Amino acid sequence: MARNKSVLTEARQIERAVMLIKLGARLQVLESETDLSYERLLRLYKEVAGHSPSKGQLPFSTDWFMTWQPNIHASLFLNTHEYLNKVAELDEIDTIIKAYQLYLEQIGSQGLEPLLSVTRAWRLVKFVDNGMLTMTRCRKCGGHFVTHPHEIARNYVCGLCEPPARAGKGKAAGALQLPALGRAATKAERASTLPA
Amino acid sequence: MTSEQILAEIREANLSYLMLAQSLIRSDRDQALFRLGISEETAMLIGTLTPAQMMKIATGNTLLCRLRMDDDLVWNLLTSHGKGAANDSVSRLHASILMAGRHQEAA
Repeated sequence: MARNKSVLTEARQIERAVMLIKLGARLQVLESETDLSYERLLRLYKEVAGHSPSKGQLPFSTDWFMTWQPNIHASLFLNTHEYLNKVAELDEIDTIIKAYQLYLEQIGSQGLEPLLSVTRAWRLVKFVDNGMLTMTRCRKCGGHFVTHPHEIARNYVCGLCEPPARAGKGKAAGALQLPALGRAATKAERASTLPA
Repeated sequence: MTSEQILAEIREANLSYLMLAQSLIRSDRDQALFRLGISEETAMLIGTLTPAQMMKIATGNTLLCRLRMDDDLVWNLLTSHGKGAANDSVSRLHASILMAGRHQEAA
């Protein structure tokens, strides 16, 4: 993208960046979604967040979105995102910001912890754009859930209609809980419910 | 309830709905489309209503807004029929996902 000299455009971009920082976005998200220089973003980040941005790579795996609880959170966010995408004419990043705010509200109103960070939400939308992830309709409830692109749609059942054996057994506050089903879990099932 | 009471309560509910809808639309139109489940055209109309117009529209013997889930599936999830309190939040989250996926109603 060419550097835009318009003051108004820049003001708009700073506003966006501030909103993203407040939501907890990593610096890489800001670099990708605005034309502001790295130095300015760094200063802005420290000013808004009150500390230096965390370093290191972004989470890059699509597998995180497939585990039980993250999948539910990701699906809620992505459904909201798709809704806004259909009804409102917004820039891509604004759709993400607004959908993420609605997601936070929804999760907060049910006393749950937001498992999906804004950085992950942003990655999720990119993954869907690149065709690395998609949404598949559940055969039972008809809801759309985040899946790998080659899920056999005819047989797909979501994790809420048929939770895996070890799902909902975590004791963390703000996590989803399910009553015991009385079956010993295999090692693979246990691994699939571990937080990423 | 007498019929005067019914009319008064309906007017009250309609008026609260219109006022809430208008303030939602004015504070963030795009998010309001999601919250209200209405089309962009409807949102524009509600957003520009004057108080006098609202009073007029709110008066009548029918409600202006309708339920957004008219199927057993979402309804049962929301009320957690036949399930313990343990997975109440799971059911509600499930309902939220299903409802968020319904953009046909607004488009």
